[in-house]
Amino acid sequence: MTATSRSTGVAAACALALALLFGSSVRAQTTCKAPSSECVVVGKLDLSVGLGLGDRSNPVRGESSIPLVVIPQLSYYGRHFFLDNLELGVTVHESDTTTLNLIATPGYDRVFFYRNDLQNFFVGGAPYATGIAPLAPSDQPEQQQVFPVRRRHTTYLAGPEWLFDYEGISGQLDALREVTGEHEGYEVRGAIAVPLLKNAGALVVNTGFTWKSAALVRYYYGVDGLYRPGDAWNPFVKLGYSRPWSERWSLNAFVHYEYLDRAVADSPLVSDHSVLTVFGGVVFKIL
Amino acid sequence: MRAIHEPLRCVAVRPKVIRRAVTLLLACCVSSVGSSAAAVESGETLRLELQPRVCTLTANEPYCDTTVRAQWKSPHDESLCLVIVGRPDIRRCWENFSAGLYQVELTFNEDLIVELRDPQLQRVLASEAVTVIREALRLRRKRRQPWNILY
Repeated sequence: MTATSRSTGVAAACALALALLFGSSVRAQTTCKAPSSECVVVGKLDLSVGLGLGDRSNPVRGESSIPLVVIPQLSYYGRHFFLDNLELGVTVHESDTTTLNLIATPGYDRVFFYRNDLQNFFVGGAPYATGIAPLAPSDQPEQQQVFPVRRRHTTYLAGPEWLFDYEGISGQLDALREVTGEHEGYEVRGAIAVPLLKNAGALVVNTGFTWKSAALVRYYYGVDGLYRPGDAWNPFVKLGYSRPWSERWSLNAFVHYEYLDRAVADSPLVSDHSVLTVFGGVVFKIL
Repeated sequence: MRAIHEPLRCVAVRPKVIRRAVTLLLACCVSSVGSSAAAVESGETLRLELQPRVCTLTANEPYCDTTVRAQWKSPHDESLCLVIVGRPDIRRCWENFSAGLYQVELTFNEDLIVELRDPQLQRVLASEAVTVIREALRLRRKRRQPWNILY
């Protein structure tokens, strides 16, 4: 059994376990009755901006961390169509507990290589791009070698998304394929969100994983003739807190830790085994 | 009308019953006419008008925040008080006036009921409402994005 097929099997097993755990016994929850952070008005554009201090570590060798200072948030939900920042999609089924969408979402890993990636938009710092990366193989730290690193273009992945709620716990499962003709890799994203506090603000813990196919991992972290990685399985945990101050202002803070699979971390392009993102600030609702 | 017709069905029964029925009929008629006249009188004599009549809330407006203008008129002098249901802090009374005007800045999100009552506030003389209409909102669940920065 190859590493790829084993990881694919694990991803499928987890997806199936989530489906069996939550899908078979979902209980009716209260439907949306008023606009809130979880319920949006159909046909209304929502625009807000987060202002604060934060940082996302960059596991790519030689790249500096990504400061988080100004974070715009834009969303529009029509009756079926929706736009959520850089993601867009169509809802094909929606009930009180289950939603099935078809979505298109940008490839995430590019943010570590290009500061001017749209996903890094407005997080601060002068935009710059990286075309050639100086590499220092870990077994020869003093001997600098320069390898040509191909450009990584903006990619989009598309596929079905399943959202569900079970007694206040929310789950999400995305099965995505790259559709912009760059690497044709696959990605599976799964997560559950558990609210820990609701009275004095909302404290939510998220945990989940991202599975990336070998083609996708090679596109970002492979080096021609030097490193040919397999698929990657990255688990993460995120603790987020938000507390509304007024109709427009709210306090927001979070810590997000993602562990990088060896397929990523062993790349000569990568110097760290994890990505840590922290942010604390306020969110102002413009529209 | 029912009270009038029922005795007529008994006309051919007995003279004593007939007399009793006629008496009852007349009593009913007098009573009916009297109450009708009272209804007409109360409906026509004291008139209360509100502006605005309707407050429409859009998606971004949780409350109506407006000046409510209440005006009443009567052909003869009245002693009465204007009150708003659920707002005991608002009361405006007049003594021996045939008209009155009251304006107040109010914030409300449900129908606002304005009443004219007697000075003891026991009897409602007239009542009107400012109706709150909410723009029909269609809501849907927002996607959860654990990977999103601010979610």
